[in-house]
Amino acid sequence: MKTAKKTVQSKFTGPVFLVLGGLFGFLLSRAGATTYDFYAQLFLFQNFQLVWVIGVAAGLGAVVNTLARRKHSTKPMASILTQETLDFTGKPYTKTLVPGSVIFGLGWGLAGACPGTALAMLGEGKLGSILTITGFFIGTYLYGVQESGKMKRSPSST
Amino acid sequence: MTEVIYWSGWIGGLAIGTYALFQFFLTGKPLGVSSAFTDTCSLFSRLPFFQHHRSRGLSWRIWFILGIPLGSFLATATSPGPWIASLSLGPLYDSVLPGDPVAKGAVLGLGGILLGYGSRMAGGCTSGHSISGLGLLNPPSLLASIGFFSGGILMVQFLFNIL
Repeated sequence: MKTAKKTVQSKFTGPVFLVLGGLFGFLLSRAGATTYDFYAQLFLFQNFQLVWVIGVAAGLGAVVNTLARRKHSTKPMASILTQETLDFTGKPYTKTLVPGSVIFGLGWGLAGACPGTALAMLGEGKLGSILTITGFFIGTYLYGVQESGKMKRSPSST
Repeated sequence: MTEVIYWSGWIGGLAIGTYALFQFFLTGKPLGVSSAFTDTCSLFSRLPFFQHHRSRGLSWRIWFILGIPLGSFLATATSPGPWIASLSLGPLYDSVLPGDPVAKGAVLGLGGILLGYGSRMAGGCTSGHSISGLGLLNPPSLLASIGFFSGGILMVQFLFNIL
């Protein structure tokens, strides 16, 4: 039973997430999140299109997840497609979280895009996103180089 | 630049919020983008950090980021105007960024490096922290979101009002 589910999961992972990514990309575009100047206007306090997008999305999530979490604590819920037990635990705090988020923000303001929206801008023909996406890989790789150095010095930590 | 249709912010928020819940309840994977870059690097790099995070074959995250530009292309295909490939960012950003395409590309690339490096330090990006994480009322994600916005305000105020 369990192995059968696993096979189904791995077989459909690619197409399912390709379609989900497509849906998310479509919605980012329709939400105005691929319009560079909305970021400039946001951080100049001139237009709050994207504050509405993030705020309403997070607010809706908060309401539904709070109700679902309550139900989950009495009767655990599993994901519809993959029967994985749902995990409502968020990401942990780390000591690099605050400085990292500010560095991220500086890049957000400079490139007028974040990781998801730069990928969506690519599909819209906004060619600057090619450079920004290349930057994502360089930045991620630099972080990997730095962390790999730490892992060599103390192999137990990740 | 391609003209895109966009909805009112709150409708866009409802749509993206519904989408994030849909993905989570369907697959058990919360919405997030930036870890896909780690997964992609692990396909090519032998560095211990990337081998540690290695998954077999293409992870769901890699499939997901391949889908995003296809979806936004569909969004422009269903918009009235033509699809135009352009290095323009729109009137505001174009007024502060260098006009020279190489210099402009370098600035956008630098922004990308900060985003890639910063998202790994912060453990996620706008999708993972500000949509998924705030939707779970998770305090570290609130802290990260405040950091994202602080950095954004600092940079844009510097570009438009100081530079």
